[in-house]
Amino acid sequence: MPDRVATTLRGNLDVVGLGALLVVLLAAYRHYDSELFTPASITILSAQFLPLILAAMGQSTVMLAGGIDLSLGSVLALAMAVFAVRAEDGVAVAAVLALAAAASTGAANGVLVAYAGLPPIIVTLAASFLWGGVTLVVLPKPGGSVPAGLVDAYNNGWNGLALPFVVIGLVLLLWKTVRTTRFGLSLYAVGGNEHGAYASGIGVRKVKIGAYALAGVFVGLAGIGLAVQTGSGDATIGAPYTLNSIAASVLAGVSFFGGIGQMRATVLAALLIGLLTNLLLFTGLSPFYQLIMQGAVLIVAIAVKTFATRERTD
Amino acid sequence: MTALPRTASVPRRLTGTLRENRAAWAFGVLLVTWIAAVLFAKGFDSVSSVRYLVQTAAFLGIVAVGQTLVVMMSGIDLSVSGVVALSAVVCAQVAAGSGGTTGIVVALVASVVVGLANAAGVTWLRVPPMVMTLATGTIVAGSLLVYTNGSPKSAKVSLLGSLANDRVAGVPLAFLLWLGITAVAVWLLHASRIGRYVFALGNGERASRASGVPLARTAFIAYGACSLLAGVSGLVLLGFTSTSSLTMGNPYQLLSIAAVVLGGTSILGGRGHVLGTVAGALMLTLLTALLASWNVSEGVRQIVLGLLIIGLLLAYARERRT
Repeated sequence: MPDRVATTLRGNLDVVGLGALLVVLLAAYRHYDSELFTPASITILSAQFLPLILAAMGQSTVMLAGGIDLSLGSVLALAMAVFAVRAEDGVAVAAVLALAAAASTGAANGVLVAYAGLPPIIVTLAASFLWGGVTLVVLPKPGGSVPAGLVDAYNNGWNGLALPFVVIGLVLLLWKTVRTTRFGLSLYAVGGNEHGAYASGIGVRKVKIGAYALAGVFVGLAGIGLAVQTGSGDATIGAPYTLNSIAASVLAGVSFFGGIGQMRATVLAALLIGLLTNLLLFTGLSPFYQLIMQGAVLIVAIAVKTFATRERTD
Repeated sequence: MTALPRTASVPRRLTGTLRENRAAWAFGVLLVTWIAAVLFAKGFDSVSSVRYLVQTAAFLGIVAVGQTLVVMMSGIDLSVSGVVALSAVVCAQVAAGSGGTTGIVVALVASVVVGLANAAGVTWLRVPPMVMTLATGTIVAGSLLVYTNGSPKSAKVSLLGSLANDRVAGVPLAFLLWLGITAVAVWLLHASRIGRYVFALGNGERASRASGVPLARTAFIAYGACSLLAGVSGLVLLGFTSTSSLTMGNPYQLLSIAAVVLGGTSILGGRGHVLGTVAGALMLTLLTALLASWNVSEGVRQIVLGLLIIGLLLAYARERRT
């Protein structure tokens, strides 16, 4: 019991710590962009950050179940490509197709991890090749188009409503609902102690497949968001999201070994990485420095986490 | 041994031996694949095609030998793609100003530095190898963007050109280099004290640390050697193509790990043989060449390669220890 209290406390510490960092960062941001808190600014920033936030939620879902998804970027690009190619014939159908594609690739990853006895790293790395190829078949070169009205409404607000913001809220709500179900509880149980979960009657394989499929849905939404934000599709745009989604999850305190972590912390961490990237641009450094910063953030975040929780791991 | 290890009619004793010796398996599958290529595709039966195959396999093979060292100690190096590009780009850049030899030395030193950073992160900061190497790989890619301002140079370094393209008695030098490196790796991993430490760490880190295996020293040697070899491969590639690009290393990230695993080394570490990796690299290069001879789009090619890798992994790289 005390152990559980400590775990809960640490989880909230993550949220509090990230929140404090976020406040500092927002203050710095305000210094460069005095219109930060206007509705227009919030809309455009949330449109910009939505793909990473949702991708990070997908990565966290898989990590909570004790896995990892190195094919996330490819799946994101696949959803983006499917949506961009089909959007002109009807946005709703295109969105359903894109989500179905992303969810089924996720489920396929999950089946391989659950049944094949292959470690998630190698499975999802090989799968990233596969899904990357599928994406290239769907969209051989950047293109496709999203109806201009939708792009405008999404990026500039729809009747004063920041649509991306609403989407993030709805997805978080969806996660909250999933969390209260048997599946949500099993997800944490499988990640925390797979054998224990199995012994207490949880269908470990089904939970893993479900986790990858749910992650696929999140990543699919991220891909659709990216297509709507940019107005077209690009098969090669997904790669950075793999690293950044892992960075956000780790920064949020989601354990690499599964079972520990909170989704709201992941959202905050993704927001933090997004803001940091923008801030870097404000300082006038070449955008080439972005990659260096992202890698450094990842190393620092995980090293700090490891030292903070050292007494537990050793 | 003939090309029949996959059929049921093979005596049970032989299958038993093969199951225990996955590296031998890898050579069996390689032989079957090659025979299939000769039978069903054009242009795989000539001496020159074999020569070209072993020459191009050397690029992947050199990286994969290094990857084997890291995987064997339960690590993984996802930064090899970055290091391959790093060494080629840096060498091309430096060679343009201060000569080929300086370029080669600087490139190799830069490569080793990345490997040492990986080892430092893994041992001292306790960052999981996958994350650490993913992060250093990204930092390397970003640094190269900054260093070259987005447009890397091409360079003709005569030493590298002859290393990549010349032959000795009909055998490509690149292949000989690969074999030499493999021989050293076989000694390092299977005959030296460090090798024993690597296997021990791969089989159980806690137990080995408790029994006095020096984690830091072993990790620095393994990750350092892995990066050095990725750097060597980048140099040979530079010699082969005379140009460097920021993305030239990208295929090697997955393929080097696939070559290790298809060569029969456990991705969890502690079991396997460097020689298996040679078969794995040859097999993957052969498959890539087969697909290239096939007239389909890049996307389809990638799908088929991905499926083949997953299929081969399922066929004989499954783990029971997860």
